[in-house]
Amino acid sequence: MTETSDGGGGPPRVAQLRPGLWDTVNERYPGSMIDKADFVPLAPLRKPLSECRLVFISTSGVQPKGSMPFDTVHPVGDYSFRRVPSASRPDELEIHQLKYPTASANRDLNVIFPLDRLRELADEGVIGGLAENFYTFIGYNMDPERLERTLAEDIAAAVSEEGADIALAAPA
Amino acid sequence: MSLQYLKDAAAAGDPEKLIRYVRLHFGDGNEEAGRREIDKAWIEALKPLLDVPPTDREFILETIRTRDPATLAHLFFHLHFYLVQRSGEWIHDGNL
Repeated sequence: MTETSDGGGGPPRVAQLRPGLWDTVNERYPGSMIDKADFVPLAPLRKPLSECRLVFISTSGVQPKGSMPFDTVHPVGDYSFRRVPSASRPDELEIHQLKYPTASANRDLNVIFPLDRLRELADEGVIGGLAENFYTFIGYNMDPERLERTLAEDIAAAVSEEGADIALAAPA
Repeated sequence: MSLQYLKDAAAAGDPEKLIRYVRLHFGDGNEEAGRREIDKAWIEALKPLLDVPPTDREFILETIRTRDPATLAHLFFHLHFYLVQRSGEWIHDGNL
């Protein structure tokens, strides 16, 4: 996204970097019918990065062992999310996700879910710390409206309660 | 393909769009692979029955009688993946 001015002296508007993105998606995946004219502008950082608590949001399907596995078989997708304590050890977590290669992540979870790297950034003072929980879901969701109306809103509400200052969102 | 696309296909009686979607789902985006996966699941379902071992028909009939159609359909998708995993030929990149 880039900032633009409307010339009226108001705050700069944030424009989409790739306004034709959804056209491209619809062309490649006939019937997906994604139509998104609106967008949420980037929120400005309100304090130095070194004072910000970071929350990680991932479509990796990583989840605590023993929690209800993500529904990887449902033809329309799974619109639930899991809280993953940021203090988890990799061996306390597992991946339930069919749609990306997980072999490397099973050897070193950090390649898809960088727990150790983010803790290092916190220890080095690059960021202020980590939220108590990270959030995960699976990316195979065929109903964009439901995804936005339920899953995205649910995660946004949960993240707000965590008191996180910044979010790192990563698709798998 | 969106959910609405599939609902429209179902309402219009367009089975080809629906089965194509199922094939794409089972084949991780490759329709021909999905077709083979469906065949593979049925073959795996047939094999254990060839010797006519005793099966728990009470469980089967009770499940069909007492569970709602959506749960049974969901179970059908689970059984597909269970059977293809049992075949030992796992084409998917990830884990169930």
